[in-house]
Amino acid sequence: MTRFVLSRLVSAIPTLFLVSLAVFTLIRLIPGDPVSLMLGDNVDDAAYAAMSHELGLDRPIAVQFLMWLQGAFQGDLGRSITTGEAVLPLVLQRFAITAQLVLVAVALATVLAVPLGMLAAWRQNSAFDLGVVVGATALMSIPTFWMGLMLLLLFGLNLGWLPVLGYVSPFDDFGAGALYLVMPVAALVLHECGILVRMSRASTLDVLRLDYVTHARAKGLTEGQVLRRHVFRNAFGPTWTLLGLILGNLLGGVAVVETVFTIPGLGRLIVESIYGRDYPVLQGCLLFVAFTYVVVNLIVDLCYPLFDPRVKTT
Amino acid sequence: MRLGNRIGASALGIMAALAAGGATAQTLNVQLSSDIRSSRPGVNRDALSDMVALNVAEGLFAVGERGDIVPMLAKSWTVSEDGTTYTFALREGRVFHNGAPVTADLVKQSWEAMLAAPDFNCTGFFDGSRGSAVTGIEAPNAQTVVITLAEPDAMFLKYAAQSQCGGMGVTHPDSFAEDGTWDHPIGTGPFVFADWRRGQNVTLEKFSDYQPLAGEIDGFAGHKEALVETVNLVVTPDRATAVAALRSGDLDVVPYLSTAESAELQEEDGFVVKSAPHGGMITLLMQTEDPVLSSTEMRMAVAKALDVAQLVDVATNGLGTPNASLVPISSLYHSAVHDRGVGYAPGEVPAMLEAAGYDGQELVIQTNRRNPINENVAVLAQAMLQMAGINARIEVLEWATQLDRFRSGSFQMSAFNYSNRADPVLAYSAVVDSKEDRGSSIWDDPRAIELVDETLQTPDGEARQALFDELHELYLEQMPFVMLANNLTVSVNADYVQGYSTWNGFARLWGVSVEK
Repeated sequence: MTRFVLSRLVSAIPTLFLVSLAVFTLIRLIPGDPVSLMLGDNVDDAAYAAMSHELGLDRPIAVQFLMWLQGAFQGDLGRSITTGEAVLPLVLQRFAITAQLVLVAVALATVLAVPLGMLAAWRQNSAFDLGVVVGATALMSIPTFWMGLMLLLLFGLNLGWLPVLGYVSPFDDFGAGALYLVMPVAALVLHECGILVRMSRASTLDVLRLDYVTHARAKGLTEGQVLRRHVFRNAFGPTWTLLGLILGNLLGGVAVVETVFTIPGLGRLIVESIYGRDYPVLQGCLLFVAFTYVVVNLIVDLCYPLFDPRVKTT
Repeated sequence: MRLGNRIGASALGIMAALAAGGATAQTLNVQLSSDIRSSRPGVNRDALSDMVALNVAEGLFAVGERGDIVPMLAKSWTVSEDGTTYTFALREGRVFHNGAPVTADLVKQSWEAMLAAPDFNCTGFFDGSRGSAVTGIEAPNAQTVVITLAEPDAMFLKYAAQSQCGGMGVTHPDSFAEDGTWDHPIGTGPFVFADWRRGQNVTLEKFSDYQPLAGEIDGFAGHKEALVETVNLVVTPDRATAVAALRSGDLDVVPYLSTAESAELQEEDGFVVKSAPHGGMITLLMQTEDPVLSSTEMRMAVAKALDVAQLVDVATNGLGTPNASLVPISSLYHSAVHDRGVGYAPGEVPAMLEAAGYDGQELVIQTNRRNPINENVAVLAQAMLQMAGINARIEVLEWATQLDRFRSGSFQMSAFNYSNRADPVLAYSAVVDSKEDRGSSIWDDPRAIELVDETLQTPDGEARQALFDELHELYLEQMPFVMLANNLTVSVNADYVQGYSTWNGFARLWGVSVEK
């Protein structure tokens, strides 16, 4: 097991290197740079040259990359061009906020969607199944920003039940923090539920058609026992893989939801750093996102044998 | 604590937060469309950082309502006959937010620290490269500060009062941490910088020992009395969310709103929409080195094809006022000469195009969607130019890309807004320069350069007026770009907020009360 984990982590190093190289190059290929943005329309060539020099942006790109890489290996991802903050603590701080939001949302979505999908498959072609499929498709089709705005207008503005903007960490004040998370979590849960219900239903349908399920029923097991003991574990595999992908994706930042609900998370930081051409922050964020993706998928792979004993991690 | 108790406590917390609802009447909630860059006046700044700094720190002097320089921490000053020595007499009884009295020594330290900061935005104005070099700052006694320049500079006070220089706001040495890094501003303004949660909000608190000057509010000076206990500047990047928060009462003021959104809110009860023009400029730039636009006749044809009054009216949703001159309408120097423009004359355009040898070549107008006014200007200008027989096309760019093209002069035409300028000559110097020296220069006529240099060295008065008049006449002759209007700030506040106005592009938080 340890060997497997280590080998997976080591094999991620080339991936992370390629990601950092691609990000480093691509962001510099986009027209516009941080110095132009900082100087705005007050720009003159001397001030531009002086600030570029100050920020080290007048050096050859290869040199800039190697210097950044050297720092990254030592755990120093540089400092934000915009605010001067150290990038690594900034990314970790923002990630912690996004992680609260995403983990709660994905957990809730899983708890709701997986049983719902299984029940829909079990009652295939019934009115219940049709309702679940239509509902899931509708939820999948609604963009999260629109869902967010609708929630905000309904519960924040019209009903006045929930705060429209701001963020309070649940670690500072659990009650207020939870209140501020209700709408963003709901927006994510509703969207992800649609996807998970569809996957859970489809994989359950596949399993329900298999001979061992018929055999289990023939043995006289109740439908509940068949679903719990024989269908769930086998049908959950594909959903679990999808969960890993969703989690990796969302942990990389839910920029739209964070922007609509004014949550200072990782996604908003990435968007701000793109618009501000804050190279060190963007590089740091994307490297971290890639690393998160690797780790989340590793955890997913490690958990796989729990659901399907045929899969081994060695 | 047992689980049940924890759940109970949390539920109570949620109920309490629900019951609390919006803000109390002693808190003013203001939108910040993005987080501030730093809290240090004039250093690593942008417009929002300047806005916060101007409410917290004060300079020796400040920009008054009509763009004049008026006393602030200094009660008066004198200038030596040779124009190189400025002697400021400090007001008595002024204190910093930490209770320390304002003394000449502390003012000297603050100025010296700013001038020495490597990322001070205005170094060029005080090191001899753009303005005269500051060669000495002395404090001969506790109430007198003497600043010496290498050579006379009529713009010295105006440079120093600029918002981009933080108005040379005076801060106490304890604004720095023990290791010498910047911590937070301890100024003398009506608000104390209380807290900054990055990405979330900035909290300002009323400075209880502040002694407002007598009289009225005067630009960034005058009667600056804080009427609310707390100002909560909430980072709200999404405009739709900000408007929803305004409607729900979570925000009391949205200082910068697009003209389209403001039009919608103008129709609703409960909101006050205010439009305030400032010294920035809404322009349609033309690249005078472009093969097509290098001809004066061609540029004049473009100008005469534009119905500026209609364009400004539509582009700004009826909130803007056309201005053909770089001298703002509100300026002391906006004489009758500056009311003259080239005029809308589509009938004259064909002859001019023929004289320019125009043969249907495409003209590309660059614009962006970040600023709806720019986009509107581009769309309307394209339509008007096409109606006049000029083949115009729009290229929509991301803001950073458009700015990059502006910096290098890589455009044919560009719907572009200049930010606020504290003095009309700074508006001219933003566009007038040799294109060899500055890629972003628009107008590189030698006479215009000479006139701007002369205006920079001419103190306020009739001679300066004459120079501005001549510059405008020359502009009308050469038409290097089309000046459409002064830029404007549209703000909206709930009707229970009294006394709010966004002035010169900045949210003035003094004199504002909340009466829910």
